[in-house]
Amino acid sequence: MNRAAAHLLTRLYPRRWRERYGAEFEAFLATGRGGLRASANVVWSALFEHIFPTPGLKTDQQPRSFGVIVRQPSAFLPLAMSFTALVLVLGHVALFGAVREADEGATAHLWQLLMAGQMPVLAFFAIKWLPRAPRPTLGVLALQAGAALASMAPIFFLNL
Amino acid sequence: MGHYSDPPLLVLASLASGPKHGHAMIEDIAGMCGTRLGPGTLYGAIARLEQQGWIMPLPPEERRQPYRITAEGLRVLRAKLTTLQHFAKAGLGRLEAS
Repeated sequence: MNRAAAHLLTRLYPRRWRERYGAEFEAFLATGRGGLRASANVVWSALFEHIFPTPGLKTDQQPRSFGVIVRQPSAFLPLAMSFTALVLVLGHVALFGAVREADEGATAHLWQLLMAGQMPVLAFFAIKWLPRAPRPTLGVLALQAGAALASMAPIFFLNL
Repeated sequence: MGHYSDPPLLVLASLASGPKHGHAMIEDIAGMCGTRLGPGTLYGAIARLEQQGWIMPLPPEERRQPYRITAEGLRVLRAKLTTLQHFAKAGLGRLEAS
């Protein structure tokens, strides 16, 4: 495997794992056989390490506040997707009026994709962060739920 | 039914014959039971075994990081293999009886 690919794949692991094993794992990948199968195995293992971290590995003891957690990609991505969905609906209403159409248009499909697409991200966020910092994570989940409901509200109230 | 796959046990069994680095472990395990561990799977097992104190790193050789099994790791390996041996013996006994 070339060194750039090895470096990129190693970067998929959590920071505390990389601090201990990153250098040797990258060298191990760079000197080994590459290929799709090996890469997929590394991607899956990195994801597993994020969800079920190796017990006993020294973890960073930084306080995990609401502000820190809400800045995680898996926290703000669903918020951004809900916000985008809301802007899409409001933009559509502003341009074409609150008219129920028999045939779902591109806006409706985009809205559905944005709302459905955030579900796996939300699940990942909850699985990763609820065990580590339950209270602030519940706060972020409530915010995400609020954002999702806000983007659904125009559809419900305007009967689109 | 696929090859036997319990990565931590396979790594311990591989290191029982002496210290090895990652690639040597993969080849040794493939020769031992036909299972070829992926790089992520191997290092997932190595990390967990090291944190449990069952293996330990040796000084690096060039860019390779060898590991060796600890006394506690040997004890755990022996216990697990004994359990498997009892299981295999019981299963084979039932096959012969039927």
